[in-house]
Amino acid sequence: MFMTRSEYDRGVNTFSPEGRLFQVEYAMEAIKLGSTTVGITTPHGVVLAVEKRVPSPLLESSSIEKIMEIDSHLGCAMSGLTADARTMVEHARVTSQMHNFTYDERIGVESCTQAVCDLALRFGESVEDDDALMSRPFGVALLIAGIDEKGPQLYHTDPSGTFVRYDAKAIGSGSDAAQQSLQDAFHKQMTLLEAHSLALKVLKQVMEEKLDENNVQLAQVTNEKGFEILGEKELKEVIETLAA
Amino acid sequence: MALYSNAPASYADHTSAPIEHRFNPYSDNGGSILAIAGKDFSVIAGDTRQSEGYNIQTRYARKVWQLTDKAVLATNGFAADGNNFVKRVKQRLEWYEHAHHKPMGLKSIARMIQTMLYAKRFFPYYVYNILGGIEEDGSGAVYSFDPVGSYEREACRAAGAAQSLIQPFLDNQIYFKNQTPETGSEPFIPGNLPLSTVLSLVVDSFTSATERHIEVGDGMEIYVVMNKGRTTDDLLDKKKLGPGMEVEELGALGEGGGERTFLVRAALKRD
Amino acid sequence: MWKQRSPGQSSFNDYNTFPLPQTQRVQPSYAHGPTFHTQQPLVTGTSVLGIKFDKGVMIAADNLASYGSLARFRDIQRLHPLGQHTLIGVAGDMSDYQWLQKELDALLREEDALALTDSHPSLSPKNIYQLLSNLFYARRSKMNPVWNAVLVGGWDKVKAESFLAYVDLLGTTYTAPTLATGFGAHLAQPLLREAYEAKAGIDGTGPLLTQEEAEKVLEDCMKVLFYRDARSINKFQIATITAEGSTISDSKSADTYWAFAEGLRGYGAQTQ
Repeated sequence: MFMTRSEYDRGVNTFSPEGRLFQVEYAMEAIKLGSTTVGITTPHGVVLAVEKRVPSPLLESSSIEKIMEIDSHLGCAMSGLTADARTMVEHARVTSQMHNFTYDERIGVESCTQAVCDLALRFGESVEDDDALMSRPFGVALLIAGIDEKGPQLYHTDPSGTFVRYDAKAIGSGSDAAQQSLQDAFHKQMTLLEAHSLALKVLKQVMEEKLDENNVQLAQVTNEKGFEILGEKELKEVIETLAA
Repeated sequence: MALYSNAPASYADHTSAPIEHRFNPYSDNGGSILAIAGKDFSVIAGDTRQSEGYNIQTRYARKVWQLTDKAVLATNGFAADGNNFVKRVKQRLEWYEHAHHKPMGLKSIARMIQTMLYAKRFFPYYVYNILGGIEEDGSGAVYSFDPVGSYEREACRAAGAAQSLIQPFLDNQIYFKNQTPETGSEPFIPGNLPLSTVLSLVVDSFTSATERHIEVGDGMEIYVVMNKGRTTDDLLDKKKLGPGMEVEELGALGEGGGERTFLVRAALKRD
Repeated sequence: MWKQRSPGQSSFNDYNTFPLPQTQRVQPSYAHGPTFHTQQPLVTGTSVLGIKFDKGVMIAADNLASYGSLARFRDIQRLHPLGQHTLIGVAGDMSDYQWLQKELDALLREEDALALTDSHPSLSPKNIYQLLSNLFYARRSKMNPVWNAVLVGGWDKVKAESFLAYVDLLGTTYTAPTLATGFGAHLAQPLLREAYEAKAGIDGTGPLLTQEEAEKVLEDCMKVLFYRDARSINKFQIATITAEGSTISDSKSADTYWAFAEGLRGYGAQTQ
């Protein structure tokens, strides 16, 4: 029988003759439709910034939640099908709490990232007693930021379950341009404030609307205060420095 | 019912529960263990006799185990449970290292032991555990457990057959109970004794327990875990150790963070 | 019901008093839900002795399998070789022992098959002992014990040294240069230790007994056990395991002296 390319689209876990998993690749495409998300590592902490698309003036922009706390020392920002991220963040939170319960210590940033990625390939036709959970891959990428004994770290996860550590990373629709800007402006000895304004500057470049305190969100993980989403006042201050 | 308690089974009232002959899965294998924390070292010791009732099963059975470069675990109670518990702990330590790319810290081992013991709350490991070693901040530490997982960090702890003989002695010598500092002198602070003093207390504890408890004796294994950079003169200097005592340094188990573990062996009376 | 006797607290029936003194009656239990049906030993073997000597290790056990106080089977062998360099001596329930034999023989046959096709190393005495320990501990943890006490003797080819260890129904394990199970732990172990330490010293650094000396000590101990252990018989075998492999002797008996019995008064049927 003649095999068409769509033949390999049917089974979510079927390799194409070229050795590709189409459903996973399509899932990666879904992320490129998502809003731009940026993460930057500094010696003092990690900064996360997201664009919140506000398609209607009637939409309450504060109800868009694209940065979530995993634990007091871990946070994540997402791009893509954000609903899928809830499953992943839930798993990360449970794993983190379980680790704390069992070992009386905070889970490492990499270990938490690994735990999230373990979920990524649990899709497809489940065999009896198998714990395949979903019919399709996750359609979301995460930037996981955190601090442990190895210092501030930023990890990127994608639907294939691969995770990579970055000094600075952009994902989502404007990621190509944003990543280039990050590469040009990033340096290892950045202060937190510099990272704040760089993150917003990069978002500003790729956003269609004019950036203001309602259509972006900024968060950070620091040694002193752990994970926190910056409030409106602090956000405004950073935006003001951009204008100048 | 008392009247009928000895009646043949055929006369037994079938509405009362039958008397069961039930297999007893536990035994007590005697022996004693103890651990004392210093400022930058920890001493964990146990005797080597294993017994059941009045029988000495063997004069050398291990009760103290090196887990990592900074953790040593002593087990006491039912030997089969003890050995198998240690086996499981070591397995978990290996899994942890694979998953997290670092050796498990002392307080994490302590917490994990709690969860492992409590997981068998309704069919417990009949084992009293004492964990000693070096904490993340470099201080010497001792954690003691009950068989179902209650635990706390202490300056010292004795457990096993001779706990009731040794602990009061330790309370007096380590916690300075029933002692008052001379007027005008510094107050006592537990957990700051020099290593040579601690070693003497350990040896005296076991020789005394051997005299007065039939289940204690034969030999003694004393593990000394030292923080990195600490001087070893007070242990390795031959004159510091009693006659017949031998020291051996146990090499690093992992990559070695600088902490050093020594094993001191000494004989105890065999009667 | 058999009560545990203090101070031993042993759940191994030291004196093999089952089943006659207290025959278990069928107890209806349906009114109270299922009763836990724990095994009890029925046909039992008594003491097993073991001692290390200069060229290996010896294990001795008599040929009796008792049914309570009845000397039921008077010609069974309680020594069983496992491969070339390992041998077990088994006390306790004889049907559990036969089950063990079957399991271990099957395992060893598989190992032999593997050894035919490649350079698969054979199981060392230590390997077999570890397996037995895990088996006994797992079964006791399921509250369904293998009702035996086992001595494992062997020759470790890699280390070129003898091996002697104990494991029982609780999963309790230990090793020593001399070992004895059950009644033997009371009567024979002191004699074995005395003989061993007389040459080797208390630290075991001196010379070990020769093969002839070790055999003599074991025969003496078997005689003492026959005199005082009511569940023993004067017919026993001694297994010897050395670098050359294991051998099990023909059944033999100890020379006994009963002349003094003529003069005994106060027991039995005589009236004066």
